[in-house]
Amino acid sequence: MIIWLLQIILIPALSPLGIGFVKKIKAKMQNRQGASLIQPYRDLWKLFHKDEIISSDASWVFRAAPFIVFSVTIVVGSSIPLFGSFLDNYFTSDMLLVVYSLAIGTFFLALAGMDTGGAFGGFGSSREMTVSALAEGGLIFSLLTLAFHSGSTNLFKISSQVIAAYDFSFLPVILAFLGFFIVLLAENGRFPFDNSATHLELTMIHEAMIIEYSGKRLALMEWAAANKLLIFGALAVNLFFSAGIARSAGLTAIFWGVIALLIKVAVVFFAIAVLESVIAKFRFFRLPDILFISFILNIAAIALLL
Amino acid sequence: MNTLFLQFLLILFFLSVVFLHTAKRNYWTIFLYGLQSLIVTILLVLSFLETGAIAALLMAGLILVVKVIIAPLFFFRLMKKYSLKFLVSTYINIPLTFIIITILTVVAHSSVFLPLTTIVSTNHFYLSVILATLFISLFLIINRKGVLSQITGVLSLENSIVAFAFFSWLEQSLALQIGIIFDIFVWIIITTIFMSMLYKHFKSFDVTRMEELKD
Amino acid sequence: MINFIFSPIGFFVLLSFFIAGALGSLIFQKNDRLANVWSGVFASAGSIWGLIFSSLLLLGSFSVSWAANSTSFSLLSVSFNIDKLSAFFIFVISLITLFCSFYGIGYVKHFYKRYNIGVLGLFFNLFIVGMLLVVSAANGIFWLIAWEIMSIASYFLVVYDRNDQENVRAGFLYLVMTHVGTVFIIISFFLLYKFTGSFDFSVVKANMALVPALAKDIIFVLALIGFGTKAGIIPFHIWLPAAHPAAPSHVSGLMSGVMIKTGIYMMIRIFLNMVQPIPVWWGVIILIIGSISALLGVLYAITEHDIKKLLAYHSIENIGIILLGLGSALAFSSLNLPTLALISLTAALFHTLNHAIFKSLLFLSAGSVINKNHTRNIEEYGGLIKFMPYTALFFLVGSMAISAMPPFNGFFSEWLTFQSLFQGIISIGSYVRWTFIISAGALAFTGGLALLCFAKAFGAIFLARPRSEEAKHATESSPWLLVGMGSLALLSLFFGLFSGPVISAIKNVSQSLVISSSAVSLVSVNSNQTISMGNFSSLSAPVFALIFVVVLTAVFLLVKYLIYCRQKVSVGATWDCGTDLTPRMEITSTSFARSIILIFKGVLRPRLHYDVKYHDSQSRYLPESRTVDISIKDIYSTYFYGPLSRFIFALSEKIKSIQNGNINSYILYIFGALLLVLFLVR
Repeated sequence: MIIWLLQIILIPALSPLGIGFVKKIKAKMQNRQGASLIQPYRDLWKLFHKDEIISSDASWVFRAAPFIVFSVTIVVGSSIPLFGSFLDNYFTSDMLLVVYSLAIGTFFLALAGMDTGGAFGGFGSSREMTVSALAEGGLIFSLLTLAFHSGSTNLFKISSQVIAAYDFSFLPVILAFLGFFIVLLAENGRFPFDNSATHLELTMIHEAMIIEYSGKRLALMEWAAANKLLIFGALAVNLFFSAGIARSAGLTAIFWGVIALLIKVAVVFFAIAVLESVIAKFRFFRLPDILFISFILNIAAIALLL
Repeated sequence: MNTLFLQFLLILFFLSVVFLHTAKRNYWTIFLYGLQSLIVTILLVLSFLETGAIAALLMAGLILVVKVIIAPLFFFRLMKKYSLKFLVSTYINIPLTFIIITILTVVAHSSVFLPLTTIVSTNHFYLSVILATLFISLFLIINRKGVLSQITGVLSLENSIVAFAFFSWLEQSLALQIGIIFDIFVWIIITTIFMSMLYKHFKSFDVTRMEELKD
Repeated sequence: MINFIFSPIGFFVLLSFFIAGALGSLIFQKNDRLANVWSGVFASAGSIWGLIFSSLLLLGSFSVSWAANSTSFSLLSVSFNIDKLSAFFIFVISLITLFCSFYGIGYVKHFYKRYNIGVLGLFFNLFIVGMLLVVSAANGIFWLIAWEIMSIASYFLVVYDRNDQENVRAGFLYLVMTHVGTVFIIISFFLLYKFTGSFDFSVVKANMALVPALAKDIIFVLALIGFGTKAGIIPFHIWLPAAHPAAPSHVSGLMSGVMIKTGIYMMIRIFLNMVQPIPVWWGVIILIIGSISALLGVLYAITEHDIKKLLAYHSIENIGIILLGLGSALAFSSLNLPTLALISLTAALFHTLNHAIFKSLLFLSAGSVINKNHTRNIEEYGGLIKFMPYTALFFLVGSMAISAMPPFNGFFSEWLTFQSLFQGIISIGSYVRWTFIISAGALAFTGGLALLCFAKAFGAIFLARPRSEEAKHATESSPWLLVGMGSLALLSLFFGLFSGPVISAIKNVSQSLVISSSAVSLVSVNSNQTISMGNFSSLSAPVFALIFVVVLTAVFLLVKYLIYCRQKVSVGATWDCGTDLTPRMEITSTSFARSIILIFKGVLRPRLHYDVKYHDSQSRYLPESRTVDISIKDIYSTYFYGPLSRFIFALSEKIKSIQNGNINSYILYIFGALLLVLFLVR
């Protein structure tokens, strides 16, 4: 139906806008005009119309990875609550399935980074896998807190129920949200974990893995990264603070649901942009401490909840 | 007739083992051993006369041939081949040896071994004496330093076991007898090898030389 | 016909296949090729029969039992009893044996003319016979005989490649450790015998009320140590990373995939089936041990660059995950929650099956790679995906399965384990709940770390450029090997896609064990293959896979053919920063893992050692060579086994002085002992 189609294409359609929004806010904080909000769309169009060079050392893993990574983000993006919590998806909306599907994307991204045998790609893969391995615990546990709170691990069910009982379980939800926010920064390569604008080999994580890509494949990789950011943002707003989400299948409800999503995600992205402008990127070996903090916050949330 | 005769045989048996401890020359050792085996043969013949089992007679004949005739001859030949006339010494001197023999005899007669020696309550006295003989044969092996007397100790151990079996009315078991005979054959083979290897390696029959083998 | 298969004769036919393979292989040992093919064919045929036999038993509601009528030994009775649990394990054994023997027919070719192939076939088949008897024996002493057959046969297989001294040492360590474990098992069996008066499992189960609680606890600890040594839990795991690499690869696959599961089988049999009811702290202890084994196993795997040792440590990790399921089953059954115990046991059994499949797949593909490169060191591989594309694909499938990526089978069993842990967190109170929370955390971290480890392994072995001359001359594996590996890869996918029906089938197995008949299953599979856990979670494997494949194809077609069809794709060199492009530029497995090792350096204790050699030792200006030594020593060797073995050696040296070479003193010892015994017996 139309609603499912909307659900599938909403994430890929809006994600470059999200990236553009973050860049704009950062530029404003740096007292610049900044690129326009739709510049990422133009960048993607440009990349799609460029020729490609593929390394002679690369194998089918390098060639196939962008497609796999992008498809993973599409599949996950259609399984999470975006504008409506009334949709019944018992097949792919399980919390663990979402987490581990994103892991597929990370895995192939890391393999692609190693495939060309360059000096940068391997390091990027190593750091990315390290960060991702440590972040997974925090991610699962923050979603678990919500699952215990609402009695189900189905993401749609979680988003439809969290708002109902805010009275005494507000503190665990906030703690879990903080833990989730840290994981959001980690998985998407935002400050303090990674600087998405740098190309210095000492500091790259995500950029290092995709450094050998060009043309269409690079466009897919960039788009997939944008998708992932929007997915995490949507999860952050819809699972933890699900005010405004459509609870029934009416047209107005869906309309307001989309508007609510845009507003809430804009707030989260604003916070990310401000954070990126205010703090510096941390040294790599300080990152595990932050991730463990996230894990501990989530455990505290579960302890308070039960 | 029987009880007196049996007691006489038994005393002779016991004394033979005790004198094995004091024998200084190999000739006496072998002679005493032959005497022991003769006593056992007579015991078995007695059992045949009492019970009429042909197996006992067969066994007696076999023991007569092997233990009384062949084994001492074998040992004499061995002595001549390696020209051993004199025994090697013992660990403990003679008075102490006799004290220990007395202690062992008392232990054998004590209440500790009462269940063992009262298998057949009428033969209680005999069985205690045989048990003492058993212990004294073991002590012979421990005390002596020469290979020949150790072998003799083991063989007299065998004899006392056969006597024990006789007095506890077990001698009917054919398996027991065959087992013992087989045991002797194997023991003879092993001792030959043992003695020849010992002599080849150490050029003497002193068993304490084997201490050099440890690491 | 069906009845014939069901009867004990079916089981005897199964055993006779393997015994025929063993004997024939020995008889034909002069002819390498014939012995190899004979043993492989008989093993495959036997395993196909075993699959049929066990599937019929699992799907039906029979159980096969038989006891010999011999009365010569009163305590030993040659009897076996195959209920659903045994049938499940026979299924797992047969499945893996089928593909490993297939693989073996091609793999053993590189042992021709060097060793005696007949002996290999003999011990291989005896090993499988031993395993089959272990999971079906119903009498304690008969079980111990089967256990010994299995251990000794696998010892000979481990030291088969005896020209390498490492293998002989590894085999010795394995022999010692497995017998230490067996001693504990024997003591626990004797304790059971003492209180219940019999070695037969069914009699013991019926008389459990006679065993006092303290004795039960002691039996638990002893059995845990004994079976845990075979299963490879930490800290009794030190033989695993030594023995599995030493064995030939198809045997490693079998050992790692199936043999260590026999320890799990006996734990399930004793703790859940025989020794009931149990206190709750048993389940808690097993949960803790499982978490520690999982985490430490994967951390040590990350530090390894010997491909088979890496896989061996992963086996330890997965045994930890299975123990998480088993521990929660024990905890639930002791707290009278049979519904949840059902789920946990199903999760543990499902993960047993899945791990057997993907671990043997990984070992087989590692074996092919080692075969072509003649070294086990990952650092000397690289770029093999161009020379061995199919092997690389199968290794990739295995890596994805073990890292729990949907839609392969590893994900679904870990999902089920997670579900049982979550239910535990919800339903249980007090300190037991915290154990469940910690176990769930350990499982979450293990998943992420396993992903890291296999990204490292796959990347270092197959991607980028070859790092040694041997790697440049590698070729694809022979068809036998490819068929063996490919079938396992397909099975991995199959069991993932159809995890719904598989879970239902395994649920029947667990239901036969969970003591309460009121155990209603919370896991249900509905008609469109959705697995749902009550109201708490649900997912569907085939739907996910279908959606993923559809989206992938759609994206591919759209991007490749619809957007900008006039794009030119050319091939160039990797960006080399202006210097020469050498294999030294790419990342090695040591450096890939370096970050994680430094993060966990409190646990792993890496050592960094510098050494410099100067041209002129007086002036020390110009170094001739510098050496950097990065190493990780197993902390168990240093802190646990090291002092223990030093103590035992010191004690032995002291006792050696009794042995003074003097016959007389020996006879004195005998005499004294005899007198002492006679005194005591009075």
